Amino acid sequence: MMLALLLAPALFMFLVSFLHNEKSKYLLAFSSFVILLPIIKLFTLVKPYAILGTYLVADKLDTYVLLVSSIVGIGVTLALLTLDKHVKVSPKANRRFYRFFAIFWIGLIFSILSNHMGIYWIGLELATLSTVYMIKTNYTPAAHKEAWNYMIVGAIAVSLILFGIILMYASAKPILGEDAMQFDLLLQHAKEIPSPFLFEMGFAIATIGMFIKMGFFPMNLWLANIERASFYPVAALFSGILESAVVVGFFRFSQIAMEVNYDHLFIFVFIYTILTIFIVSFLIFRAKDFMRLFSLSGVEHMALIVMFWVSGAPFAALLHFGAHAFLKPALFLSTGVLESNGKYKIAGALRGYKGKRGTIFWFLVSLFLLAIISLPPSPMFFSELYGFGAMISTAKESDHMLAMIGAVLFLLILLSIIFYRFVSIYQSMKYEGETESKEVYPSELFALILFALSLVALMLPDTLHYLKSVI
Amino acid sequence: MVDFLIGLFLASLIVALFTTRLYRLLLWYSLNSLTLGLLALTIGSNIDDDGMLVTGVITILIKAVGIPYILKNLSQKFHFVRQITPEIKVQYAIMLVPAILVFTFYLSEPIVNMIHTNANYVAISISSLFLSLLLMMEHSNVAPKIIGFLTLENSLFLLGITATNGMPMLVELGIFFDLLMAIVVINLLFHKEEMKV
Amino acid sequence: MILYLLTLVLLVFIAPILLSYIKAVKMVLLFKRPISLMQGYRNFSKLLTKETIISKESSAITHYAPFLVLSPLLVTMFFLPPVVEGAYYVSFVDAFTITGLISLSTFFLMLLGLDSASAFGGMGSSREAFISALVEPAMVLTIFSVSLMADNLGVGQAGVNLAQHFPKEHMASYLFAGISFFILLIAENGRIPVDNPETHLELTMVHEAMILDLSGVYLAIIESASSIKFVIFASLFASLFMPFGLEFSAPIAFVIFILKLFIIATFVALLEVNTAKLRLFKIPNLLGLSIVFAFLSLITFYVLGA
Repeated sequence: MMLALLLAPALFMFLVSFLHNEKSKYLLAFSSFVILLPIIKLFTLVKPYAILGTYLVADKLDTYVLLVSSIVGIGVTLALLTLDKHVKVSPKANRRFYRFFAIFWIGLIFSILSNHMGIYWIGLELATLSTVYMIKTNYTPAAHKEAWNYMIVGAIAVSLILFGIILMYASAKPILGEDAMQFDLLLQHAKEIPSPFLFEMGFAIATIGMFIKMGFFPMNLWLANIERASFYPVAALFSGILESAVVVGFFRFSQIAMEVNYDHLFIFVFIYTILTIFIVSFLIFRAKDFMRLFSLSGVEHMALIVMFWVSGAPFAALLHFGAHAFLKPALFLSTGVLESNGKYKIAGALRGYKGKRGTIFWFLVSLFLLAIISLPPSPMFFSELYGFGAMISTAKESDHMLAMIGAVLFLLILLSIIFYRFVSIYQSMKYEGETESKEVYPSELFALILFALSLVALMLPDTLHYLKSVI
Repeated sequence: MVDFLIGLFLASLIVALFTTRLYRLLLWYSLNSLTLGLLALTIGSNIDDDGMLVTGVITILIKAVGIPYILKNLSQKFHFVRQITPEIKVQYAIMLVPAILVFTFYLSEPIVNMIHTNANYVAISISSLFLSLLLMMEHSNVAPKIIGFLTLENSLFLLGITATNGMPMLVELGIFFDLLMAIVVINLLFHKEEMKV
Repeated sequence: MILYLLTLVLLVFIAPILLSYIKAVKMVLLFKRPISLMQGYRNFSKLLTKETIISKESSAITHYAPFLVLSPLLVTMFFLPPVVEGAYYVSFVDAFTITGLISLSTFFLMLLGLDSASAFGGMGSSREAFISALVEPAMVLTIFSVSLMADNLGVGQAGVNLAQHFPKEHMASYLFAGISFFILLIAENGRIPVDNPETHLELTMVHEAMILDLSGVYLAIIESASSIKFVIFASLFASLFMPFGLEFSAPIAFVIFILKLFIIATFVALLEVNTAKLRLFKIPNLLGLSIVFAFLSLITFYVLGA
């Protein structure tokens, strides 16, 4: 019943997308808003709530992620309403976009809520494949090429994840039988897995697949290229929603791997993420346009989330995740306005807004820009504080205190490079360049206000309490 | 018999690595899938698993017949480049392929000590995973890359069939569904003429 | 001992027939009227009666080389695995000896090509050297890995062991060795994807280029040497990769063996009809494949035991 409620808006959207009607555009947007309602209902239910036997189970972690994703989805839909004012987009492409957006939602709901590695993978693959076509709704040769690139990179990453899943399944099958694909059972029996080497190898392969999908170390640039080539709502979808499905998988797998062998997991992931942040910080320093800047900073924040999670600070990771999921799509959506007069222009992007709407817009964008580099009122500030604190306190129990302090200092240096770059970009946006008049449409402003309100809601004591109770 | 089929699987993959013609590559892919399907049927009848038999039949129908046929049609419709020369020269490939095989065989040696049934098959499926990644890497055209992706899928299935004696039925059907979805998306991606809209 | 000698005689006599048979099958498939199976003998007797002309520039090597091409192959025939159970066989000869003898024969063939002092001869010799340099490592590896599977390094003994105990547990590596050996069979005998024995086209010749200047008796010897080479490879393939039918009584076993040879010849003919000749610089692709498979067979056997 709950499953039908969750899927109904998406299915409705899928069907409506075949109508060739002028009004269908608003109907599609409406159906996208409706997705939030069953998720709020789900959020209020007692956890864990079995949606479909043991296959789909709603617990605190995944309802939180799903709620965040659906809010991002609404913001993206709001921005889509006025997409054609900024860029050329045909009504047919708009309908196609919504058709694949519906499939994307179905895949996403399955993968986030799943308690079963197989179903998680099926949902992830469905979501990945549907985003491939969304990139191509921008009819440019660059988008065409990047859609192919994404198809291939995504296929490799997703196949690696499945390969890892099968290996993990094989390692636990002797004790659990066919149920060895369920996350909760695996977590309970993690210590009894007869062949930990097999499990760890499976985990490593699956993790590499997920890291490729999040744009980590050897594959840093594909995400930036794709987000540059596609429309900005697609980029917002990537950074806000698809990444969250991947990161949920990582949370669940690593929970089991922590039980199997914490040290191996920690060293593997920690080195991987430090390398990623090292490279990404210099790439950010060289970034010349908004899209690349934001997508690279997205990679950096994903690396931070993963790092906090494995170093024993799930609260920090979840808070950071929520903050990033709201901030980054907001910034991506605002690039639509910032870049609307002449692409790639950073200097003077924050000038030339008239009227009340314009003022609110540039005020919000500058707030978001300063929040993403974790200036104090932002939730990211607190999550990073918690996260680094947790790293130090984890290291206290082992003999590697000095190495950990060194690593944290190194990380802080890298983060300060990114901080410097963002501040200088902000200054150049505000104080350099020529003033050109830019138009802000109400729907975009609504989206930004929605994200701002969600960010404030994230800082409420109740939310923080909820996040602390997740693990 | 199972050993023989697995050997055939790996052999068709290696031959595919050295192929320079698109249709020949499709033939090898189809042979690869056919051996996979036969493998599923053999193992399924050995352990009396109906789900595995269904998987085998679907594999043969979809992967060995359907997908090569669709891809051939697509290639005629969109005029693919049919002469596909690998970027990696043959003399390097000759060294690279055995190196990959030796590496993966030794990588999975600890597994051989852990699982007692079908431990070798894990090694062979990991090496076929790497070989299909190599197949994707060594071509710059799109069509062989798609075939590389499909063989990647095949090697996943090989692992699923041999290492775990079949995944749950639901998952296998889901994977087939996703594969069909991938084919649909690939088909849509080839429609270049829509760029004018 | 009688069976052993009988096998040798049989192999020598069947050799020209097999090559004629391949040609006949190809002609049938191309809707031509097939040649008779005895065509090989007819050519041989015709060449014996013809006058032998030798180029002025050639040295004494041209006089000796044809015999030296034939004799290592004849020696190799003595070391082949038995056809019938209980027959005499030489058990101690291993992969290196057989490969060495065959390449000795190839060496004299190349020398013969160089000695004629024509441009064609040198070109053919260099191409042959290029091909056989790639063939030999693969061949050693292949026969070696099959011998390992049969628990004996001697090729003759390996054939017997395989017939008694088919390596079911090593099917994968056995299959790889089989694929590799079949490619070698085609490459070493100059069949179509590697070399076309029927044309005298400048660009494609390998084997024919070396013997272009020969005539009469010498040509007859070289032709019979090449047919014997084919029969050696075919019978090695038959006894190492189709190791069954040895346990029957002698006449039936012989019939089965001959049938196996004809099946191999049919496969070769089918392959020849269905493929085009490779460009010379594409040949390393094919032979590289054979090396990869040979190595794969060995490593699969060693590491995985599969």
